[in-house]
Amino acid sequence: MSAVNDKLAQSQTRNPLLSMRGIGKTYGEVRALRDVSLTLAAGEIRAICGENGAGKSTLVKALTGIVAPDEGEVWLDGKQVHFTVPKDAQAHGINLVSQELSICPDLSVLDNIWLGALSLPFFHRKAELRARAADTLKRLGAGHITLDGLAGRLSTGERQLIEIARMLVRDTRILILDEPTATLSDKEIHVLMSALKSLRAHGTSILYITHRLGEVFELCDHATVMRGGTVVADQAVADLTRDRLIELMLGRVLGHMFPEHHIAEGATFFAINRLNVPGAAHDVGLSLTEGQIMCLTGQLGCGADEVIRAVAGLVSHASGRITLDGEDIPLGRPEVARRRGVRFVSGDRAEEGVFIDRPAWENLVAPRFVERSGARLVHNRALRNEAAALADRSTLARHRLPVRTGDLSGGNQQKLAFGRNIGDGAAKLILMIEPTRGIDVGARAEIYRLMRDFCERGCAILMASSDFAEVLGIADVVATMFRGEVVKTYKTGHLDMTRLIADVTHPEEEDA
Amino acid sequence: MNSDTDLPRAAQPDFAALKARITLGNAVTLLAVLVLAALALATPGFLSMPAIRSLVTTVSFTGCVAIGMTFITLSGNLMSFSLGASLSAATLIFVATLGAGLWPAILAAVLFCAALNALQGWIVGYFRANPIIVSMASFAIITGVATAVTGGRGLYILTNVAAGLKGNLGPIPGPFAAFAICMLIAQLILSRTALGRRIVLTGTNPRAMLAMGAEPWKAVVWAYALAGLFTGVAAVLMAARYGSGDLQHGIGMEYSAIAAVLVGGTAIEGGRGSFLRTFLGALFIAVLQSVLVLRGFSTEWQRFGMGAVVLLVILLQRK
Repeated sequence: MSAVNDKLAQSQTRNPLLSMRGIGKTYGEVRALRDVSLTLAAGEIRAICGENGAGKSTLVKALTGIVAPDEGEVWLDGKQVHFTVPKDAQAHGINLVSQELSICPDLSVLDNIWLGALSLPFFHRKAELRARAADTLKRLGAGHITLDGLAGRLSTGERQLIEIARMLVRDTRILILDEPTATLSDKEIHVLMSALKSLRAHGTSILYITHRLGEVFELCDHATVMRGGTVVADQAVADLTRDRLIELMLGRVLGHMFPEHHIAEGATFFAINRLNVPGAAHDVGLSLTEGQIMCLTGQLGCGADEVIRAVAGLVSHASGRITLDGEDIPLGRPEVARRRGVRFVSGDRAEEGVFIDRPAWENLVAPRFVERSGARLVHNRALRNEAAALADRSTLARHRLPVRTGDLSGGNQQKLAFGRNIGDGAAKLILMIEPTRGIDVGARAEIYRLMRDFCERGCAILMASSDFAEVLGIADVVATMFRGEVVKTYKTGHLDMTRLIADVTHPEEEDA
Repeated sequence: MNSDTDLPRAAQPDFAALKARITLGNAVTLLAVLVLAALALATPGFLSMPAIRSLVTTVSFTGCVAIGMTFITLSGNLMSFSLGASLSAATLIFVATLGAGLWPAILAAVLFCAALNALQGWIVGYFRANPIIVSMASFAIITGVATAVTGGRGLYILTNVAAGLKGNLGPIPGPFAAFAICMLIAQLILSRTALGRRIVLTGTNPRAMLAMGAEPWKAVVWAYALAGLFTGVAAVLMAARYGSGDLQHGIGMEYSAIAAVLVGGTAIEGGRGSFLRTFLGALFIAVLQSVLVLRGFSTEWQRFGMGAVVLLVILLQRK
């Protein structure tokens, strides 16, 4: 490398666009951040990686004025700045796209893009706003979205782009993305990636918070790895390997992410025949044997989620025949499905997976309150003991049991949602949608282990996932889906990533 | 037995935690209680025996309705504006069936009131109708039908079969004893039965209940039925006390009950609350009413005072 280049790199690190120095933040007794420093150059994409609770979100909040740090300095353009409210950060061109999208479905795309922009004058020229919005969408590679359409009609991926466009029309110099791909399909992720790369080419700096390691390597220039509120590594992505990154995040070497597959064959344990979910899935037929994990996979809207929900009894207008362990499971009757051994672990944890306002232990024993007749007295002491035993089996630390469930990490919430089903041996089939969405690497491996252990006891799991690495890693049988129909089913080992992606994107070309 | 299966108890309360608990809301609540207590003690006649007896009786009546209201609030359905009308109708049923004996009349009134509200609970829970609208429609229907049937006149108790209900239990007034028992039963149902836990879980997240294969609408029906049941108890106590069944008995009752529930600190969005809170709330409201009456405020100003208190509480409940 030439000396000139070296010098250039040095001056860039000396005069970065943004630099945070020695940031510290304490909540009550918890030190969320300790001496965190970070720089961001113009046109750089920097990944912030770390497990849940590593301090990523707090760092972002400190940067955007949502929380005030106790210690440390923030420098922008060589001048020290103090942000006390989010408006201050916006005025300096720092904008956050948070995990929860804030799109107003009943407003037009155009209105959504300009929503909340501070620079908008009271009397503005609509034509100019239109032109700038259209321009911004084009820059994001989303020129096909019509400005006058309702935002509610857009897919999740498109909404994400609208949200980014909203930040760009605010003259954003530093864009912060918090887990932007958590709910996107692979195709949409691809669109987002190229949009972000084109932004980088235009000089926008990006802080990119993610769990997904693949994205770090595809997109980012530098990575700041956080653990327990401190920075454990700050390196160029080119100098990192995937394993090294995982090791840095976890603070230890990760064993096998996925447990062994279940190879043995047996009689059909669970079968779906000619299942139809109007508008979502058509003529689905599947079967699996004891001990198997079957995974339905495809892009967003392929119908996999709806098949799972229908089996759980949560779709009222589905038709078809479902049998489990020799018994018919009627459709549209969740309570009957439960009595016959079907359990559902929702992908939407806060909304229908767990009771976030109740303590963790109550979530683990919640099924007891449902199974028993209403007049039966409950013995809280016995229940707490049962919850403690279940927590052990679900690898959840006991000291978390009295904690409000909403204050736990996604991984621990998922352990509650799964663990409550394994207590009494009555569950035969567990249904899951996106079992590890938004869950960090360490907890993921534990959840996969739990799933496998459950199946080993003569049960089965039917899950839907759009995380293809997960699909290949955990499933014994994979059913690829495209536009509501099953393309093909594969046993483990007979499927690779290329084939999978071909199936779920353009299956009709497969035979050609 | 196995002490290691016990959960760790909460750590020793330390100063920081204590400080964190003293929020603006807590401070204002404490201030309100102190101001009211001072006002009450400074009001001539407040500490007289008749005033206290009347206070305790009022607490018992509104308290029983407030217990019912608490079940509805806990189940995630905000509140019912028809409990007062249900109470009025139940006093009429009680007096009308008194000819068959005291216990049959009590049973008839309480079950009628429970069924009337269970029906509303079914409409709210099964059809996911807006609970406020349903209760307002029910209020109109119950009041309308009851007025048409009775011609707007009250029914009077002409015998002394129900006299036992207004006597004392030792030094404790009968209605208060009944209210205290109701409170114990309600708390038992809430915290120690599977049904009670179902109502609370449904209140915090009905969708999670459905996904778990529970039937949230059934818990809602039961919450409303219990609301009707405890309101029915209030109806019996009031009819016995005033010697009549009358549409006037329940007027404003639901409002006092809502105020009691809210002042007590039960979360309006459901899933969090207790009957001790409701009792304290009912006590606060009754003392406030009593002070206003003793200080010679007109009914209009009493209503103003109650309305202001409810608004204040809603503002303080904001997290």
